[in-house]
Amino acid sequence: MGGTFVVTLREGFEAALIMGIVYTYLQKIGAERHYGYATRGGLLGVLASVALGVLVTALSGPLLDLGPDVIGLAVIFVAVVVLTWHGYWMQQHARAMKGDVQRKVDEAQATHRLWIIGVLAFVGVFREGAETVLFLWGLMTQATSPSGWAGATGAILGLAMAATLGWAIFRGGRHISLPRFFAITSVFLLLLAAGMFSTGVGRLEAMGVLPQSLTAWDTSFAVDDHGLAGGFLNGLIGYRARPSVFEVGSYLLYLIVAGSLLFRSGRSTPRSCAPRGPVSAHAASDTEPGAASLRH
Amino acid sequence: MGKRFSRLIACVVVALVSLAGAASAADGPPEIPLAIDKDQFQPNEVKVKANAPFVLVITNKSAKAAEFESKDLRVEKVVPAGKTVNVRIRALKPGAYPFLDDFNKQATGRIVAE
Repeated sequence: MGGTFVVTLREGFEAALIMGIVYTYLQKIGAERHYGYATRGGLLGVLASVALGVLVTALSGPLLDLGPDVIGLAVIFVAVVVLTWHGYWMQQHARAMKGDVQRKVDEAQATHRLWIIGVLAFVGVFREGAETVLFLWGLMTQATSPSGWAGATGAILGLAMAATLGWAIFRGGRHISLPRFFAITSVFLLLLAAGMFSTGVGRLEAMGVLPQSLTAWDTSFAVDDHGLAGGFLNGLIGYRARPSVFEVGSYLLYLIVAGSLLFRSGRSTPRSCAPRGPVSAHAASDTEPGAASLRH
Repeated sequence: MGKRFSRLIACVVVALVSLAGAASAADGPPEIPLAIDKDQFQPNEVKVKANAPFVLVITNKSAKAAEFESKDLRVEKVVPAGKTVNVRIRALKPGAYPFLDDFNKQATGRIVAE
């Protein structure tokens, strides 16, 4: 039971984090009535996962050998693009926000881009979704004996736990100040995307599409890939115990390119000082009582 | 903006499909059988020649899906119940490469390249 619990918790973890962040984001920008974008994206992700799960059990031969890998790779790179896009957008949004009036204007401007939220929710759920479906399916067919039932129950509890984590992020995220929420999630999504990018590059290396590079280091004695800590670190920041030079290189390259895109772009604009005003006023009002008067 | 984005996605997908096609077009390296049965890999130690690519032919004889996973080999491959999946593995340097069934972690094994 414990084993299956950990499997589904880990598979559902990333999806739950992304969904939690996406809903909180919509709430933060005052777009609560657009939750539907995230919900529909997530639901489509579940449907696509079930469809792929069914397809994989029906396929055979080269389609089964390569099909899931190609889809998996495509999802990884699409996720990287969408995460980067969303991070960039969030940064712009944070800078543009000057008050409630501005906020409404921004929202109207942003609405036509909300479909990206849907895509983000979709890839977040779909990335590990088909795997989870197949795992659960296998457990259900075993659920005729007491140990089979225990396994299936553990798996359901693991998914429930992942969903609870996502919900906790949403609940907790509402109380974090908006600039802090944007800052934390930008960094987190950046690391998540960097990890995915390097995973994709590693897969391309393994498939023979890219030449094979040397192993950069070996930290498996400390945090092993197959252990619990290694698994979660992998999901969060793309940790690998024995990464290849290309994987490390692509990780750093992504961080540098996307990081400079995200964190430098706004500062060079002439308006750079104005948007930062309310940000610091908000932040200051948390600690200094007198600072609240700045807002009036 | 939407159009540019979907065009970008289309390009990525096309590139990946053609790359995968190129990867499968090369001629056949030796096939090494590996079975999953009764929560075990059979054999649980696979000997291969170092510095030569090969194909792992993984057959899942059990009643539930398995996922052949090796972080070192960058392979995560679902093998549905009763199915056989071919996994191309690149030339390996001499050494041991552990793998496991991610859906059932008691099932472990390793590839030894020598």
